[in-house]
Amino acid sequence: MAVLTQPAQKSPAPQLPRNRRVRGPRRTPALVLAFVLVPLLVEALWVFWPALQGFYLAFTSWDGVSAPTFIGLDNFREMAHDDVFRTAALDTVLWLVLFGGLSAVLGLATALLLQQERRGVGFYRAALFLPVVFSLVATALVWQAIYQPDGVLNRLLEAVGLGSLRHAWLADQDTALYAVIVPALWRQIGYVMVLYLAGLKGIDPALYEAAKVDGAGPWQRFRHVTLPQLRSVNAVVVSVIIIDSLRSFDVVWSLTRGGPYHSSELLSTYMYSTAFQSLRLGYGSALAVVIFVLAFGVIASYLVRAFREAD
Amino acid sequence: MTNHQPGRRRFLAGLGAAGTTALLSGCVTSTSSSTGAVTLQSNLSAPQAKAAMEDLVAAYAKKGSGRVSLNTIAAETFRTQLPTYLTSANPPDVYTWYPGSVAEAYAKKNLLLDLDEVWQTSPDLKRYSKALQSLCTAGSGKKDFVPTTYYWWGMFYRKSNFAKWGVSEPKSWDDFLDLCDKLKSRGVAPIGLGAGGNTAWVASAWFDYLDIRINGAEYHRQLLAGQHRFDDPEVRKVFDRWQEVLPYFDPDGTAVAFQDATTALLNGRSGMMLIGTFFADAAPKDALDDIDFFRFPVIDPKVPLAEEAPTDGYFASARTGRRDQVHDLLSYLATAEAQEIYIKGSSGTALPCHPDAQDAGTPLVRKGRKHIEEAVEITQFFNRDSSDALQPTADTALIKFIAEPKNISGILTDWQREAEKIWKA
Repeated sequence: MAVLTQPAQKSPAPQLPRNRRVRGPRRTPALVLAFVLVPLLVEALWVFWPALQGFYLAFTSWDGVSAPTFIGLDNFREMAHDDVFRTAALDTVLWLVLFGGLSAVLGLATALLLQQERRGVGFYRAALFLPVVFSLVATALVWQAIYQPDGVLNRLLEAVGLGSLRHAWLADQDTALYAVIVPALWRQIGYVMVLYLAGLKGIDPALYEAAKVDGAGPWQRFRHVTLPQLRSVNAVVVSVIIIDSLRSFDVVWSLTRGGPYHSSELLSTYMYSTAFQSLRLGYGSALAVVIFVLAFGVIASYLVRAFREAD
Repeated sequence: MTNHQPGRRRFLAGLGAAGTTALLSGCVTSTSSSTGAVTLQSNLSAPQAKAAMEDLVAAYAKKGSGRVSLNTIAAETFRTQLPTYLTSANPPDVYTWYPGSVAEAYAKKNLLLDLDEVWQTSPDLKRYSKALQSLCTAGSGKKDFVPTTYYWWGMFYRKSNFAKWGVSEPKSWDDFLDLCDKLKSRGVAPIGLGAGGNTAWVASAWFDYLDIRINGAEYHRQLLAGQHRFDDPEVRKVFDRWQEVLPYFDPDGTAVAFQDATTALLNGRSGMMLIGTFFADAAPKDALDDIDFFRFPVIDPKVPLAEEAPTDGYFASARTGRRDQVHDLLSYLATAEAQEIYIKGSSGTALPCHPDAQDAGTPLVRKGRKHIEEAVEITQFFNRDSSDALQPTADTALIKFIAEPKNISGILTDWQREAEKIWKA
């Protein structure tokens, strides 16, 4: 069609692009506008508006039934004296360090180990990635069985003569949080590994050749070639880890519900239980705002720094 | 190409318009509904109970006076969504829920349908016991609930195991401690608990029973309503008593859920357990005849005898558009016939509220009925006598007490502080 109509036009061909260029910036086609505005409207209605309402609720006292009453900063003032909030915040930091740190280190280690194309390496990659495919709630159910008082872990300990270490892992305040981190790690390592594998694939082999020629050992090659080359992947991994740490909820909720007596409480589980169990939706929203500020603040500052370095 | 673009644009615009109209009409049709079937929102999602509800709905449809569409929802989702249902512009009509202070919380906010007319016109409801009538009356003096079944809590055990160990039911608190001693010396965990996993609330049964035995049901209700303090000396006495039996608790009591704890009871790994009859839903059929229970031992004979017997039933939304149909359905649910259909279809350990309705007729159920009739006062359960919002504060305090009984003063101070936040909210 276009080919057929074009010769029929009177105006010379070179003028056409110039005309378009002049008209282009002045008027955006309605279709393009629709493609931008309709999703924006949907997003605004389903995401931004509820989020803004969440911010508003953080300044109210609301039981979910009566109308919310505005109480200013009282929720945040209460937070300052709330022992459970302090425990949850500390646990979240611990979670970020242990879960985040270990999954990054172990994810990178497995990626380095499995990057060479050898026979059977695909099997190991798949095996490590498999937990990512499972739903976390299903994962938690399996681990709950492992941690039971007469579960696999305790029987294993008894079998190797360490019966004295037998433990109610999820019911003891000293072990509950760590017992919950393990299944979360088990899943996250595979995910981080895949991210790093993709990053490692993108490194030019010539760089290693050159380093080798210059006499760099394996550690020096890792330190001065691999790590700097992975910088852009690191930005992704760090963002993913921080977001995943702060939103970690399903594993903890299905295994311990933040218990026993708040000892494995994270900010996310505390937010959920205050909002939907204690029906204090105002205070719950205030906790959600804190989580948002933490996540957004940490990630934004990291990304700004990372991109500035990249420029 | 240019010729085609308007066509495509028109098509897309048309698509958008069609989508919008579909969305809008969806909104419109969902709000206009004063006719049609009554919606019954049920939290009875256990397989047997769900099937029994389906039987009940089918029987009501056969009667021909109205239709019901049953909507079964997982219990936990139902609990968290209930305020949303009741406050929405176009709520479901009838709900399974609990009478007493839980219903009162909604009644105070004018969310429940006034059921005075049902209670006055139904020949069945007039004959319900005084206790049930007052339980279903709101603070405003209006009836807002129709009770249908109840169950009881007790110290459950296996008859064959007690015979094997050569022990028998205790009558007093001292007998009870002796029994625990004997069981422990035979290498059995005397008392199973099951407050681990996601069922920490089971521990509240011990708090409830010790409190109604030591301080009485009246004090217990006032305490849960915020008229006394959890750090009062009366409450402290409850925990002093609890400390006497704490050494006999299964050490895994706070590590396993009640379903696992009752399995341990049925397998003879623990001796007895304070639990409600609902645990029998999951018990194998051959074990059912071997199950028996005894009354939680009386501690102070001067305190009027109280038992925990949670009542289940229905209330309706004040914003329903089908008032007459709802009244008709609730009058039907109050009949002996309806309650018998439900009991027959479910595990059969629940007792009917209608005085003439037949229960399942097993020796266990007959004993349970007598057990409740002998009580002067009836309590529901911790969350039903207070609110679901107060329950987590009890869970935290009681599980911590079981782990660190020496810390009781601090635990009770914390409990009071957390409870105040709920009462004030």
